[in-house]
Amino acid sequence: MANLVLQHIEKIYDGNVKAVHDFNLDVKDGELIVLVGPSGCGKSTTLRMVAGLEDISAGHLILDGRDITQTPAKDRDMAMVFQNYALYGHMTIYENMAFSLTLRGEDPNVIHKKVLAAADILNLTTQLNKKPNQLSGGQRQRVAMGRTIVRTPKVFLFDEPLSNLDAKLRGSTRREILLLHKRLNATMLYVTHDQTEALTLADRIVCMSMGHVQQVGTPLELYDHPANVFVASFIGLPPMNLFDVTVKGDHLEGKGFKVPLDEKQQKTLKSYVNKEIILGVRPENLVEGTDIPVKVTSNENLGMNTLVHGHISDGNKTFDRITCKLRGWCNYKPGDIAKVSINRMHFFDKETTNSIFGEDK
Amino acid sequence: MKKETDPKTAVDRMRYTKNKFSSNMAILAILFNVFYFVNIYRSDVSNYYYNILIGGSIVFNLLYLLAAFLCSEEVKQYNERYCWVLLVLGIIQFIRIFIIPARAHSAYVVIANVERQVMYDKQFFTCIFYLVVSGVCAVLGALKGIKLSRTLKAYEATLGEEKRRD
Repeated sequence: MANLVLQHIEKIYDGNVKAVHDFNLDVKDGELIVLVGPSGCGKSTTLRMVAGLEDISAGHLILDGRDITQTPAKDRDMAMVFQNYALYGHMTIYENMAFSLTLRGEDPNVIHKKVLAAADILNLTTQLNKKPNQLSGGQRQRVAMGRTIVRTPKVFLFDEPLSNLDAKLRGSTRREILLLHKRLNATMLYVTHDQTEALTLADRIVCMSMGHVQQVGTPLELYDHPANVFVASFIGLPPMNLFDVTVKGDHLEGKGFKVPLDEKQQKTLKSYVNKEIILGVRPENLVEGTDIPVKVTSNENLGMNTLVHGHISDGNKTFDRITCKLRGWCNYKPGDIAKVSINRMHFFDKETTNSIFGEDK
Repeated sequence: MKKETDPKTAVDRMRYTKNKFSSNMAILAILFNVFYFVNIYRSDVSNYYYNILIGGSIVFNLLYLLAAFLCSEEVKQYNERYCWVLLVLGIIQFIRIFIIPARAHSAYVVIANVERQVMYDKQFFTCIFYLVVSGVCAVLGALKGIKLSRTLKAYEATLGEEKRRD
């Protein structure tokens, strides 16, 4: 049970290279926070600073009201799960899980009870006498988690724990982590570049780019109300379609298409009349209709839906790329013209790239 | 490390932990056997040892090292059969006192018309010390191993099939 506060945390490497800029976050007790972003955005660096594996260049890290900015990693009462498991190959699973407690000099009987309890939670009871190389990737990752559980730390830290697993195993291990979080009700910080993991696991997501926090919110907030173009394009699969459009009072005019605006939208965009903005449309918010002609380049049937890729076209010329996620089974061939309409739009200021208003319609 | 208090947990723990005591005792038995082996032929008494005994002794030492090492690995896994083998190896160490050291200690050879004792007291007692320590280590490891193996076996018999040690 722990409350973790990151106050104005910064990481500056030699040569004045700033990896993390003014990171602020209040992690509530029992909350699972996912740091998500592309490679190099500073999410792992932030996690490592929290763990004590990297020095904090500026700011304060507070755990349960105690400033632990300068506290060594071993005294922070946090446990970390790494991408590569970091298990000892010559030890059995039992010994791996018991190792940190043995080093602490705890009573062997107490260690035994803790290891068995953790193994029970993680379904590893029958594997305890095996060596790590006898287990699958998913089982190994569960052992790595078990090793942290036995320590009963205040905060669990996960650094891309599922990246080494294949897609199927990733899904099942993800569900196990979620169940584990519910069962332990522990404070967890989880780093991933996979937005599916972020959306399915997180109580709140911290979306990062180039060392800056772009948005903090629940998965639904980030999906429905992206704060800026980066978040809009990063969260959601396939990513959001973005078009440069001009506001023309009662409609938007883009290259090769026009979209009508209702009264509420017109009110929102009142100060942008005759100005360019960015229109964001999620592929799943496009339906077969009449507003936008799309010259199809490929048609991917997914069963329940069909992904139609193409370019907006006025019949002669083709313009911006567009991806539509249409309901049902479609059979468009390359060169066909599919007409679609928008049932939900996001607007972004072209200069700042910030959201003008999360959603309209 | 704090003292264990719950005997049932201590026994259950054996399902996942190794019998390091017996294993380490077997390793110590090997170590002191090596000391003995290195010490026994240190001699300036001409050709006393140059008979079939020396060949047999070398071969026996090699076999002893191999067997004791095998025992150290198996007793670690609570294998009772190898505990008995280790016990026999320990007893053999005591018997060996009477094969080479005792005979050499009581034997005399004539070198340059002077009668000399083959093994002086110092070397004799050093050899005995090494053999006794080696034997005691092996016997202790074996006895503890037998006790633990039986305890674990009895405990596992009370568990369901799926819970036994794999």
